[in-house]
Amino acid sequence: MTSNTPYKLQALDIHKRYGQNEVLKGVSLNACAGDVISIIGSSGSGKSTFLRCINLLEQPQQGRILVAGEELQLRPGPGGALQATDQRQLQRLRSRLAMVFQHFNLWAHMTVLQNIIEVPVHVLGLPRDEAVARARKYLQLVGLEGREDTYPGHMSGGQQQRVAIARALAVEPEVMLFDEPTSALDPELVGEVLRVMQVLAQQGRTMLVVTHEMGFAREVSNHVIFLHQGLIEEQGHPREVLSNPRSERLARFLSGNLK
Amino acid sequence: MGRGALNQHDMSGYYYSILHGALLTVAVSLASLLVATLIGLLGAAAKLSGRRPLVWLATGYTTVVRGIPELLMMLLIFYGGAIGLNSLLELLGSDQGVDLNPFAAGVMTIGFIYGAYMTETFRGAILAIPKGQMEAAWAFGMGPLRTFIRITLPQMVRYALPSFTNNWLVLIKATALVSLIGLHDMTYLAKQASAAAREPFAFFLFTAALYLVFTAVSLQLLKRLSARYSLGTDKVQL
Amino acid sequence: MNWSVIFEPDTLALYTQGLVVTLQLTLLSLAVGAVLALLMALALVSRSAPIRLPVAAFTYFMRGTPLLIQVYLIYYGFAQLEWVQARWDTVWPWTHFKEPFFCALLSFSLNTAAYTAEMLAGAIRETHKGEVEAARAMGMGRWQLMRRIVLPSAIRRMLPAYGNEVVMMLHSSSLASTVPALLDLTGAASRVYSDFYLPFEAYLFAAAIYLCITFSLIGGCRLLERRYLGYLAPRKA
Repeated sequence: MTSNTPYKLQALDIHKRYGQNEVLKGVSLNACAGDVISIIGSSGSGKSTFLRCINLLEQPQQGRILVAGEELQLRPGPGGALQATDQRQLQRLRSRLAMVFQHFNLWAHMTVLQNIIEVPVHVLGLPRDEAVARARKYLQLVGLEGREDTYPGHMSGGQQQRVAIARALAVEPEVMLFDEPTSALDPELVGEVLRVMQVLAQQGRTMLVVTHEMGFAREVSNHVIFLHQGLIEEQGHPREVLSNPRSERLARFLSGNLK
Repeated sequence: MGRGALNQHDMSGYYYSILHGALLTVAVSLASLLVATLIGLLGAAAKLSGRRPLVWLATGYTTVVRGIPELLMMLLIFYGGAIGLNSLLELLGSDQGVDLNPFAAGVMTIGFIYGAYMTETFRGAILAIPKGQMEAAWAFGMGPLRTFIRITLPQMVRYALPSFTNNWLVLIKATALVSLIGLHDMTYLAKQASAAAREPFAFFLFTAALYLVFTAVSLQLLKRLSARYSLGTDKVQL
Repeated sequence: MNWSVIFEPDTLALYTQGLVVTLQLTLLSLAVGAVLALLMALALVSRSAPIRLPVAAFTYFMRGTPLLIQVYLIYYGFAQLEWVQARWDTVWPWTHFKEPFFCALLSFSLNTAAYTAEMLAGAIRETHKGEVEAARAMGMGRWQLMRRIVLPSAIRRMLPAYGNEVVMMLHSSSLASTVPALLDLTGAASRVYSDFYLPFEAYLFAAAIYLCITFSLIGGCRLLERRYLGYLAPRKA
C-alpha cells in the first residue's frame, strides 16, 4: 500500500460549516517529511477546526484527506457532514497521526506511564515491555524521567503537556498535530513545552502546529499558513511571510501580536 | 409472674427471627441493586445513543417509572404479573401455571424502579466526563467500544458514585415494601412479632436500628470506594 | 382487558374518594412538614450543640429508616403505649391517635420535615460567604441577615430539590394504604382488585392518575423555578 508520494499528509479543499456559519471555505495543505508547518490566524479564523478535520474529530462537509499516500474513504452522512466509510481504516489512520491538545487531555484515572503505553499496547498491539521501553525513552526526551507513576492531576500544566507530547511520540506517528499546545499554559510554563517542540523539529519530525507563539513560528517552522475567515490568506517561509507580509490583514494581525 | 418470664423467652426468639429476616432484606437489596445497575447502564447508553427510538423508549421508561409510587408498581407487578405471565403462557400454548414468587416480584420491581434512577445517575456521570478525555482516545485511533471500556467507564464510576450511593441508600429502605407482598423480610417479621407479643415499639425500633446499621456500613464501604476512584484527581500542592 | 368495570360510577366514586384522601394527606403533610423543616433547619445550622445535635439525630433517624417502619411505629407503636391509651378517649391531642388519618399524617409530616430540613440546612450552608459579609458590613444583625438574605436565597436554591420532595411525598402517601381503615388512591385500587379480580386494570388506572398529578406537580415546580430562580439561569440574550 505504499505510494510513491512525497507527501506525509495531505488535506485538500476542506470545507466545514456549522449550520449556516461557514468556518472553512476550502483550505488545503500538503506536508512533506520533516516539514514543521505553523498555522496562525485570529480567533474564529478556523485554524483549530481545520486541524481537527484532518483526524476527523470534526466532520468536514467537503474535502479529501490522505495520510502517507493512503486516502481516507469518506461518504456523506446525515446533515451533509462527511463520515468515514470504514471505521477500521479511520482508526488505523488516526493511530498514524498523533494529536497534542490545548487542554492536554491526559486520561485522569491513569498514571503517566499508563497514559503513554495505552495506545501502543491496546491499539498498535505492541508487547508491553516494548511499550514501556518506548515510554521511558520519550519521557526522558521531554525531561520527565522517573515520573512514570505520577497522576496527571498532580502535575503542573507544563509537565502535563510534556507527558501528552511523550504520549504522542510513543505511537511513532507519521505526522504530529499540535492544537494550540501552549495556549492553556501559564506564561512561565510555555517555554519548557516550546523547547521540547523545538527538539522534535530538529529531529526531523513532521509537525503541524496551530499556535499563537510567533517566536516558534518564525524560528522553528519552515512553512507558515495564515488563515483568515476560513481561507488561506497568505502562506510561505516564515522569514518572508512574517517579516514582509504581503497581505494587509496579515500585517495587521502581526502588529497586534507582541512577539 | 409467669407472664414476665414467658415474655422474655419469646422476645429473644422474635429478635432472632427479625435478624434472620435481615438477611433476606440484604439479599433483596443486593439483588435489586444488581438489576437496577444493569438496567441503568443500558438505559444511559440508550439515552446517549442519539438514536431516536432508543432515546424515546428510555425517556418513556424513566418518566413513567418515576411518576408512580413504588408500592403501586410492586402491587401491579406482583398481582398483575402472575396473571399476565399466565395469559402469555396460554397464548404461547402452554397450560403450565406460573406462580410469581414474592422474592422475584420484589427484586424485579425494585430493580425496575431504581433502574430508572440509575439511568439518570449514569447518564449524568458520563456527561460530566470532560469531552477531551474521549477525544484524545479517538484521536489516537481507539474504537468506540475500547474507548468506552478503557476511558469512559472508569471515569464514569468516579462521577457516578455520589448519586449511586444515594440511590442505594434509598433502595435499601424501599425493600421494606416487599413485606407487603408477603416476603418474610425483617419488616414483615417485626410486624408479626409486634402483633404476637404486643410490643410493637420494641420490635419496630429494633428493625429501625438494623436499617440504620445497614445504611452506616454501606456508607463506609462506598466512601472507601470513592476514595480509591478519586486517586489522582485531587490537586496536590507541589 | 375489562375496562368497563373501572368506568362504572361506583368504581369511579371509590377512586375519587381515594384520590381526595391522597391529596389531603400529601398537601397537609407538606404544609406541616415545611413549617417544621424551617425550625429544624435553623436548629441544624446553629452553633449551639445542644440545639443542633438532637435535631441532627432526629433527621438521621428519619432519613435512615423506611417510611413504612415510621408509619408502623406511630400507628402501632404509639397506640400500644398505655400512657397514650389511658388518655386517648378524653385528653385532646391524644384522641387523635385513634384516627388512622392522623397517624398517617403525623408520620408523613415528620418524614418530609426531616428531609426538607436537611435540604434547607444544606442550602443555608452553601450561601455565598460574600453575600453574608456584605450584609454584616452594612450592619445587619443575625436574625435580620437570616430573614432578608440567607433564607430567601436558600429557599430558592432549594427549589429544584424540593420539587423532587413534593413528588416523593405524593408517592409516599400511597403507604397510607397500609394503615387499616384508611382509603387512599392505592387503597382504592387494591379494593377494586379484590372486588373484581382485575389487578392490571385496577392498578393501571390508579397509576395513570398518579402520573397526571406528578406531571402537574413537576410542571408547577418548573414554573416556580423559572420565576424564582431565573437569576441563576444562563443568559438568554
